[in-house]
Amino acid sequence: MSHLLTDEPGSRILLMGNEAIARGALEAGVNVAAGYPGTPSSEIIETLSKVARDRGLYVEWSANEKVAMEVAAAASFAGLRSLCVMKQNGVNVGSDFLLHLGLTGTRGGMVLVPCDDPGALSSINEGESRQFARLLELPLLEPGDFQELKDMIVWAFQLSEEIRNLVFVRSVTRLSHASGNVVLGPLPGETRKARFKHRGFILDEMEGVVASMPMEYRHRRQQEKLKQAVERFESSPFNTYTGPEHPELVVITSSACHLYSREAIHLLGVEDRVGLLKLGTTFPLPPVFMEKHLGLTDRFLVVEEVIPFLEENVKILAQELAPRIGPKTIMGKRDGRLPTVGELNPDLVVEALASLVEVPYESAPEAYVKRGQELMFFGAPNRELTFCPGCPHRASFWSIHNALELDGRDGFVCGDIGCYTLAVLPTGFSTLKTLHAMGSGTGVASGFGKLGRFGMDQPVVSVCGDSTFFHAAMPALINAIHHGSDITMVVLDNSGTAMTGFQPHPGLDVDALGHKAPAISIEDVCRSLGAQVRVCDPFDLETTQATLLELLDRAGVKVLILRQICGLSPEKKRHKKYEVAVNPEVCLGEACGCNRLCTRIFRCPGLIWDKRAGKARVDEVICTGCGVCASICPEGAIEKVENREVTG
Amino acid sequence: MRIFGPNELKADVQDKGLCVGCGACVNLCPYFKNHQGKTVMLFPCTLEKGRCHAYCPKTEVDYTELSQARWKRPYDASPLGTHDGVVMARAGEGRVEGRVQAGGTVSALTAFALREGMIEEAVLTNREGLVPVPQMVGDETGIYGCATSKYTAAPTLSEVNRAAREGIRNVGVVATPCQATALALMRENPLDREDFVDPVSLVIGLFCTWALDTRKLIPFLESRVDVSRIQWMDIPPPPAEVFVLDLGNEEIQIPLDEIRALVPRGCLLCPDMTSEWADVSVGVLEGEPEWNTLIVRTEKGRALVDKAVEAGSIVVKEMPAANLEHLRTAALNKKKRAVARAREENLLNNTDEGERAAFRMDPSVVEELTGS
Repeated sequence: MSHLLTDEPGSRILLMGNEAIARGALEAGVNVAAGYPGTPSSEIIETLSKVARDRGLYVEWSANEKVAMEVAAAASFAGLRSLCVMKQNGVNVGSDFLLHLGLTGTRGGMVLVPCDDPGALSSINEGESRQFARLLELPLLEPGDFQELKDMIVWAFQLSEEIRNLVFVRSVTRLSHASGNVVLGPLPGETRKARFKHRGFILDEMEGVVASMPMEYRHRRQQEKLKQAVERFESSPFNTYTGPEHPELVVITSSACHLYSREAIHLLGVEDRVGLLKLGTTFPLPPVFMEKHLGLTDRFLVVEEVIPFLEENVKILAQELAPRIGPKTIMGKRDGRLPTVGELNPDLVVEALASLVEVPYESAPEAYVKRGQELMFFGAPNRELTFCPGCPHRASFWSIHNALELDGRDGFVCGDIGCYTLAVLPTGFSTLKTLHAMGSGTGVASGFGKLGRFGMDQPVVSVCGDSTFFHAAMPALINAIHHGSDITMVVLDNSGTAMTGFQPHPGLDVDALGHKAPAISIEDVCRSLGAQVRVCDPFDLETTQATLLELLDRAGVKVLILRQICGLSPEKKRHKKYEVAVNPEVCLGEACGCNRLCTRIFRCPGLIWDKRAGKARVDEVICTGCGVCASICPEGAIEKVENREVTG
Repeated sequence: MRIFGPNELKADVQDKGLCVGCGACVNLCPYFKNHQGKTVMLFPCTLEKGRCHAYCPKTEVDYTELSQARWKRPYDASPLGTHDGVVMARAGEGRVEGRVQAGGTVSALTAFALREGMIEEAVLTNREGLVPVPQMVGDETGIYGCATSKYTAAPTLSEVNRAAREGIRNVGVVATPCQATALALMRENPLDREDFVDPVSLVIGLFCTWALDTRKLIPFLESRVDVSRIQWMDIPPPPAEVFVLDLGNEEIQIPLDEIRALVPRGCLLCPDMTSEWADVSVGVLEGEPEWNTLIVRTEKGRALVDKAVEAGSIVVKEMPAANLEHLRTAALNKKKRAVARAREENLLNNTDEGERAAFRMDPSVVEELTGS
């Protein structure tokens, strides 16, 4: 049994942040959970899917975040409790639905957990989901430690059912992906029955029509609900003050920054001078609670990630309260004390705080920094971001790059989010030239493909992954076909949502619960839409390149599906199709005729340049045996032998 | 010979639009490839010296040095280059199959060389649609399959490089002047490689005033005719001034002036009309559409021609003086135009630090070609 189902209230167990969120949902009696994979959020749905059978849950990986929100909302409309999970930019995807959901309200408790990624550790943006709470007039909670990750989910469900609207609980990478001790609560025994009531009076929020009309009435109701939430926030156990009665300065903080702030105060030894106001209910701020604590002193430092969201809200409130509490100096990001880009860390907070309390503190001594830089420069091997050994994307981009170069019309590739994002870098032969949101590669390509009348004669290629195809690329493809755009769309089908850990998607014959599911064929979809469709194995470089060259020459919308399972997939792991080795007698090394094509350009990590021998070598430990390098070696020096035990 | 690497080749030839896609740099390594008549560099290569640069006929060709190496005499401004005789020639009666250009001398000589064992394989240029495709053939049927002029710059030499890599020897090549120049450079083993083997044993050169850029010709013709109907193309000798397309049941003539816009810039820097570095050179003959002009240059070329005449594979006649004079004038004019243009573009005999030349000639030769 999963440790997540430990039914010993009061016991303390070590949980990863995302597991704590899942446990919170279980303790709240969640019935339905839906999400779209995305780091750092993916483990929440994964964890819940593993206990779904035991707890009688319905869990799904939806086609995209908007659909996930809709699926979760349906459960709420039917009186169930539902959880919806995604990474930060997923909220953008579904925000249109949320705009209307905020107006219609919810019935069973519904909690949205966006996991933000300050510093973009696993993202290509550091978007702030917190802004959506303000934009959409919905309550926002921000857990500040692992216990709160669990407890606030339970609380959020209660709040949602009290105000009958969606509640945001925002996590961040450093909470979701770290682990800490969590004291468990009880798991509920009963389960709910689903029924959608729709025959009531039109304005009856529990039994009438779930619609955002009449707009003015619904909007007013939504704002009343938000006020109700604020009333609950006034007494929330998640807003705490620790510190002296008459502090010189108060640090106002939330989320993971609460931990950095505590550490900074401790490191500077100013516990008796500086107070810490840790807020868990960050939108809207509770005015009575805030008035009390803004009255403690005149100087405040707001510590948060990433942009000054809390700082601005505190400033608005301080301005409104000024007649009673007097003018306050509120510092943080807007005055440049803390950066508005990237993650914070204890050092950054210590530095900002040290100058304000006039305690000399060097977070990193100069000599230490210098030595560190020296070691980095001279000692650490230069490791750039790269596709894994045996990654089908390396082979795919090799062919796309070569086809575009051979075509010679200065063609380019528009891309989006996935492992293949790395193709902006040398590991993908710098083939990707535009990079935006999920599915945007094909949308942008659709636009480029219509610019022929303005003299643009460059071939336009887009790439998207198999999961991305279903997520957001289909409307773009439809747009390109309908408008007669000239594009070649390459679907890099590695048979799973590989980057986030092989979550299933609609193209696979299995769902999040492990049940058999109808697989939707990408080629059938594309063909039925009217695209010219070809399917190739990207490991067959010659055929792939020839096919691409042929497609680039044709007008209209062409789709090339490059299908090869991800090298890290459970199906492939520990199974080498080929034993690959370099024949040093044949390897040309740096000589004219090769000049290290495999280790200088192709650069699969499974290939090593043996400087002393002046020859390439295969690192048999990390080589996955895909055999692609054997096809690129101009001399045939890389030899591959099929592994009989696996294939036979 | 000043030899540089792929980066200089790319900067000086490809990026300046001087590449004619002859294929000399293709199939030596994984970096240079030709697709539909255009040579591209797929990835950067960091070598300071490479065969790609050494073999290229469009950069740093030192005619003085090349002439010394090949002919043991300095390069002068003689219009037809080193040679041992010029005659009228055509294939012997009934000796060619299918359609040929002019007198069919090239196909007849190639077939004869193959039959006689002077060569084991012939590297020729075929076409797929309008795209010229190098082809290695080992029998006469193959030779006639490649007959007739393509008029497009072709990567024929990529096939010679492939033959060399694969250990194929004793290859005959039918080459345009730029290709014959590249072959001459290649055969000198300019990088002094120990593993060097010359796979070429015979070069039959073609006369060429300029070629056409395949990538430009295709859309040009596509906008005028159904290109799948093109059976034969011809540029009859002067004063015709037309490009002729035979569509089977009709013939279309396009003024040469319209076609000249499709000439690669690199052709305008070529001082060679008659494939001066070949064993024999063959071209059209003014006023005699059923005959060719045949220039014999080397002992090997002489032996081939004499034996072919003896066997009746080709027929030769003395060249009328007027025709020879016209040929010399045309060839000299091409030299003059190329030298003037190279000078104008600052690509001749550059000596300044960091500056490279398209070609080099003795200053006295340059003076002779530009003086009058």
